[in-house]
Amino acid sequence: MIGYILRRLAQLLPVLLIASIGIWGMIYAVPGDPVAVIVGENATPEQVQAVRERLGLDRPVHAQYLAWLGNALQGDLGLSIQNREPVRDLIAQRIPATVQLGLAATVVGLLLGVPVAVLSALRPGSWIDRSLSGWSALALGVPTFWLGILLILLFAVHLRWLPAASTYVSFLESPGQAVANLLLPALTLGVYVSGIFARFLRASLLGELRADYVRTARSKGLRERDVVGRHVMRNALLPFVTIVGLMMANFIGGTVVTESVFTYPGLGRLLIQAIGTRDYPLIQGCILFILVVFVLINLLVDVLYAYIDPRINYD
Amino acid sequence: MNAAHTREVVRRVLGHRGALLSVLYLGLMILASLLVGWALPLDPLDQDYVNMLKGPSAAHWFGTDELGRDVLARVVYGARTSLVTAAGAVAIAAAVGVPIGMVAGYYGGWRDAVLMRLVDVLLSLPGILFAMAMIAVLGRSQVAALVAVGITGVPTFARITRAQVLSLRQRDFVTAVEALGGSAAYNMFRTVLPNAWSPILVQVVILSSMAILIEASLAFLGLGIPPPTPSWGEMLRTGKSYLHDSPTYAIFPGLVLTFTILSLDTLGRTLARVLEDRHEAAEPAPEGARP
Repeated sequence: MIGYILRRLAQLLPVLLIASIGIWGMIYAVPGDPVAVIVGENATPEQVQAVRERLGLDRPVHAQYLAWLGNALQGDLGLSIQNREPVRDLIAQRIPATVQLGLAATVVGLLLGVPVAVLSALRPGSWIDRSLSGWSALALGVPTFWLGILLILLFAVHLRWLPAASTYVSFLESPGQAVANLLLPALTLGVYVSGIFARFLRASLLGELRADYVRTARSKGLRERDVVGRHVMRNALLPFVTIVGLMMANFIGGTVVTESVFTYPGLGRLLIQAIGTRDYPLIQGCILFILVVFVLINLLVDVLYAYIDPRINYD
Repeated sequence: MNAAHTREVVRRVLGHRGALLSVLYLGLMILASLLVGWALPLDPLDQDYVNMLKGPSAAHWFGTDELGRDVLARVVYGARTSLVTAAGAVAIAAAVGVPIGMVAGYYGGWRDAVLMRLVDVLLSLPGILFAMAMIAVLGRSQVAALVAVGITGVPTFARITRAQVLSLRQRDFVTAVEALGGSAAYNMFRTVLPNAWSPILVQVVILSSMAILIEASLAFLGLGIPPPTPSWGEMLRTGKSYLHDSPTYAIFPGLVLTFTILSLDTLGRTLARVLEDRHEAAEPAPEGARP
């Protein structure tokens, strides 16, 4: 098992290295002097000098990259142009908000997606199945930001039940306020996620329902509820773990868009603001951080899958 | 694929009600975006200061925006932006991705390892974020949007093509061409590719819907093609600021966008099913098997 993890890590290393070169190279690809790109227009001569030393522009290119990488590995991502704060701190401040939104959306996605999948898999081809498949197609096809706008129109503008713009309130400190602020963004992202859940879980359930052990369980007189609940669900949930991995890409992208719809102060909005103000150290930091998290989650999913499914031989 | 097969595939795709509706909708949109400007009397820039942020009326079917411009006209011109971006981005993705997958699958070995690692790099960030990073470097422009959206489609084409080539590589008609002295390039593009096209075609349709969605998302985030070019994402971005004054402003562009995405998705999935059936029913004689 440890060997498997190490091998997967070894495969990831070149990918991470090339990606990091790309992110580092961003400021050199932007037209203009890299120092000016990093310090911005209103920098003092001291700041210019500090960045010049930090970049080490007199040194060879590979040394410049290694210095940048070394700093990044130690968590030093430089200073934001906009407010001269360490990029690391700016990112760290936004993480709880994005994590809370992500968890809430996953809960919504499961609450909507799993019943849809089970109901439609139990009666494949029926009108229930067809209309629920329509739901998945709709959930996946409606752009996240438009669904967000529609929800704002209904619940904030028309009914005035919920705020149109959401702020971050920690669920642990003030659950009521947190739910009021999270409901619309979580629903927006959760509907999309439920579409993915439903489509994959249905396919996986259908595959399991055809298996021999299901016929055995039925022929020994088990109630359908027990056949599905005790036998099929457990096996069908195995590939579900990989869906989480597949979902992550869309999920992170969806978070960025959703945060923008509701002006929710998460990581995605930080990145959009950074791009808008051409705050390159902050852009680099955000992208590097998201990249590392994304790659690590995918690795974790692979490892978890190999771990919980004994049929997978990871040697 | 010869003409008879093409007709058969088209007939069976159109036999599916959802796919037929999708084709009709997409056809209508393509037609409107071609005709607007000379045969359709719609002006996306004409400002009517008396009627700003109005709901649907006989004069303005989709209402007017914050400058009194006709929303329907802007939606139709937005269709042009979306379709051009989708076509361009998918072309870029295929032009880069298909040769990568072809070489990786055909030669295997170190070329495969290197090329596929590069493709993995493109997959190390969610597509929309990759596109955002590209925009951060390139700035906002029509070309930047095309390239940024196009790059996100490269991995799909590379992987699909590679998988196809791997399954065809050891088939007799390919090794025969090799044995008869056909060059690698000839073999790849004239023997293997014509037999690998059906999953690639399916991806062209599905990635078009992805490209339209990513372009609209970028525009919604304020990172798309700069104004005054009308774009559905940009309209939704502005419309969101006027939800209290004119709710329909943010509804119509989103409705058209959603129908477009759903249509392309339905068409792609129907096409995939039809082409799979065809392969299962009867494996047709491979084409280009003569060197």
